Amino acid sequence: MMKQKLKLRFTLNGEYVEVYVSPDQMLLSVIKDDLHMHGTKRGCEAGECGSCTVIMDGKAVTSCLIPAFKAQGAIVETIEGVGTPDNLHPLQKSFIENGAVQCGYCTPGMIMSAKALLDQNPNPIPEEIRTAIAGNICRCTGYVKIEKAIIEAAQELREEEAR
Amino acid sequence: MKSVGKSVKRLDAIDKVTGIGTFTTDFTLPGMLFGKVLRSPHPHARIAKIDTSRAEKFPGVKVVLTHKNTPKNLFNTSATMTFTVPQMKPVLDQRIFDDRVRYVGDEVAAIAATSEAIAKEALKLIDVEYELLPAVYDPLLAMEDSAPAIHHSHAGKNIPGDIVRIPFNSVEEGFKSSDVIVESTFKLQVQKHAQLETQAAVASVDGKGNLTVWCTTQTPHPTKMILSAALGIPNNKIRVLNPPYAGGGFGVRIGCSAKAEPIAAVLALATQKPVKVVYSREEDFIASDTRHSGYVAVKLGAKKDGTFQALDVKATLNTGAYCSFGVETPGVLGAMGLAAYNVPHRNYYGHSVYTNITPAGAFRGFGAPQGTSSIESVVDMMAEKLGIDPVELRLKNIMKVGDPWHLPFECKSTGMAECVKEGAKKIGWESRGKLKSDDPNKRRGIGMGIAAWVSNSWPFCVDYDNAYLSMHQDGSLQLSVGAPEIGCGSGTSLAQLAADTLGVPFEAIDVTQGDTAMTPFSIGSHASRTLYATGTAVVAAAENLKQEILKYAAETFDIPLDNLDIVGANIVKVDNTVVISVNDLAVKAHLLDRQFIGVGQTIPSNASPMQAHFAEVEVDLTTGKVDVIKIVAAHDVGKAINPAIVEGQIEGGALMGVGYAISEEVVYDDKGKQQNYNYHYYLLPTAADRPEIEAIIVESNDPTGPFGAKGVGETGMIPTGAAILNAVTNAIGVRPKELPLSGEKMFKLLKENNLFVS
Repeated sequence: MMKQKLKLRFTLNGEYVEVYVSPDQMLLSVIKDDLHMHGTKRGCEAGECGSCTVIMDGKAVTSCLIPAFKAQGAIVETIEGVGTPDNLHPLQKSFIENGAVQCGYCTPGMIMSAKALLDQNPNPIPEEIRTAIAGNICRCTGYVKIEKAIIEAAQELREEEAR
Repeated sequence: MKSVGKSVKRLDAIDKVTGIGTFTTDFTLPGMLFGKVLRSPHPHARIAKIDTSRAEKFPGVKVVLTHKNTPKNLFNTSATMTFTVPQMKPVLDQRIFDDRVRYVGDEVAAIAATSEAIAKEALKLIDVEYELLPAVYDPLLAMEDSAPAIHHSHAGKNIPGDIVRIPFNSVEEGFKSSDVIVESTFKLQVQKHAQLETQAAVASVDGKGNLTVWCTTQTPHPTKMILSAALGIPNNKIRVLNPPYAGGGFGVRIGCSAKAEPIAAVLALATQKPVKVVYSREEDFIASDTRHSGYVAVKLGAKKDGTFQALDVKATLNTGAYCSFGVETPGVLGAMGLAAYNVPHRNYYGHSVYTNITPAGAFRGFGAPQGTSSIESVVDMMAEKLGIDPVELRLKNIMKVGDPWHLPFECKSTGMAECVKEGAKKIGWESRGKLKSDDPNKRRGIGMGIAAWVSNSWPFCVDYDNAYLSMHQDGSLQLSVGAPEIGCGSGTSLAQLAADTLGVPFEAIDVTQGDTAMTPFSIGSHASRTLYATGTAVVAAAENLKQEILKYAAETFDIPLDNLDIVGANIVKVDNTVVISVNDLAVKAHLLDRQFIGVGQTIPSNASPMQAHFAEVEVDLTTGKVDVIKIVAAHDVGKAINPAIVEGQIEGGALMGVGYAISEEVVYDDKGKQQNYNYHYYLLPTAADRPEIEAIIVESNDPTGPFGAKGVGETGMIPTGAAILNAVTNAIGVRPKELPLSGEKMFKLLKENNLFVS
């Protein structure tokens, strides 16, 4: 059981992090079990549900499938880095305003996938939104209000950019 | 000022969009151990020998528990054991661990260790000798004399509890007076909730021996009672709560299906340390309750003009290895299946059957998707035989206010006709039969299905509710209810009811939910009941509180009570002059030794939400693939307290119904082992393959519901399967009689009917 731990250094939500990890540990486990950041959810540990989605070097990834050492030197963003209650990101505001949140277990991962999309593509067509969140399973909403929330957040972000 | 009818923002939304909100899988305690469960690899076996000595010696292992060193009390993991109506006897057929296993995945032993990895590794060191027993998987085969007896049963071979019979007048006479009779039998599959958070529990024991269990249940109070029975500990020594969120429910958490709660509890009691048990996705699939599969036979008789004369329904459901809700589900399937139409002669006969697959229990709609898919197919068959438009045939026969019902509550409101008419308009019903696909090898069709449903558990289970609404010393308010927030938005809607009843802003109210130590008893969040049944108690608590406040104000200011009201958070006279603000009165009262507390204790009636779904589909004759293009879901919800929340329930339900109709099925091999126990192989709809979904809200204002509201939670998926079945039939001219309409099943159907295009 005892395995040599490796030193992992990366940037998490803008802060430098140094943590010792097992060679077989996944990024999700580092975030949740070692760093105790519980916004990122554990749903299947097989990359199939999207609940654990984080943004790594600009791309949405399922952190349960990313070996921790792959994050060496990477820039990682989790839901905790997106916004806070008194400073919500337009995506978070839009999810609330559009009623896109139900049980909330998929929500952090869904927002991370949406943010990765909007960071790259400020004006996505509905098909692009659907593709971006196709790996994020939501069993509550039927995705209707989630899509609407992302469309409206994209518009808000474009308007913010223009201002 | 009023919040009812407005889509106010959900109280739990900020917690959830920021990741601040805690779920059981996030929850940790200092010094916590991790529990893992050993599961049976066999569908049916006796445990001849179990040796845990090697596992116990493994470094980091704190305890290994089996049937030999845990309480042997019989219980039922479904909450029905705590609220079965007095005239029926609950079926108790489960133990924490038994010396016999009855399905692949059944719990055999559990380990608590210092890490999850150690616990998992040590499971391999438990030596079990199984004595294999014959197994059976199909409910019809399980009823045969030669089948192995899975449990003791008195109503018939492998039938749990009693058979449900619902006679209403005489179907024999009804069929005699019918000009046309149609009948058919349908085969329904196993569907899985696949809620995003797997079953999980964290249990902790204090110095007094009191147990606290943070868990994913949707019924904290009944789960407390189940744990009490399983462990032999009094109710008040057990606190069950969500921490405070649960990642979906859909019925799988009505009780403690798959036993995460009792197993975490026995591990914590044995080690005197907190223990966390989180099931893997595979465990959640193979061990927690599923939807009942089975067979539903429907016979319908009508006059030539389309007037229904007799409806006879028979259901044989597969409840798997343990009863769970296996007695109530066929009951509700029948009772509510017969409730959509005013047929003078009705009859139902139904029950479940034990087999050696994963137990089936409560799942959104509780038998209704099975019943509705079958009954509504036969209604369409009747329409075709009579040459009457399916919309017209339904409008002619639907239940109307005051029509005779076989249920012990009256039909006091129905917006079904409006649902049918509005839905037909929105789907473009007039184009039915004329739709052409751009691709010559594809066929398009439109279909519909309707259903009546419930707003709580009664008369099928005991149902009552309680609420406390207490005023803090500054005038802010605490609403406390036993039903938890599992994602349906109940906390928000209940706060809206309380605010408007009391006459204060919505923002003045904070809600505590689903904690047995902090909230009064509730049977929980299920049965589409929270808004209606808990809501009735909330309105009563707010009325009670209002009276307390006004009486105090009347005495304090020497104003007649009937001259006072609360409007806009002020105590006002009839002429609208402000006497004092509610907040100032609270402060004043506090300094004069008084807190205002409102209590609501109610026994709800019941009311049927009515729904009509319409589907447009396209069938590919070269592959059998069914593409659902659009769902129109029209729902009479009585009154939409929070329209955005109501729409969310309908949209999510409809998509779950699409999955039920075309792709979702848990498949077993010939040795009782699940073949698709993950999201990759269990095909539920994603954002990329969802159809357009249009939710229509109809408001019939039920006189028994809070502010006129009826239930909605389960209804979104009840008639979807029926609408899709009828749309596919309309597209290809042949009627499928088995769900789901997967490529494989459709290919077979097309082949058999010479419709397949190669």
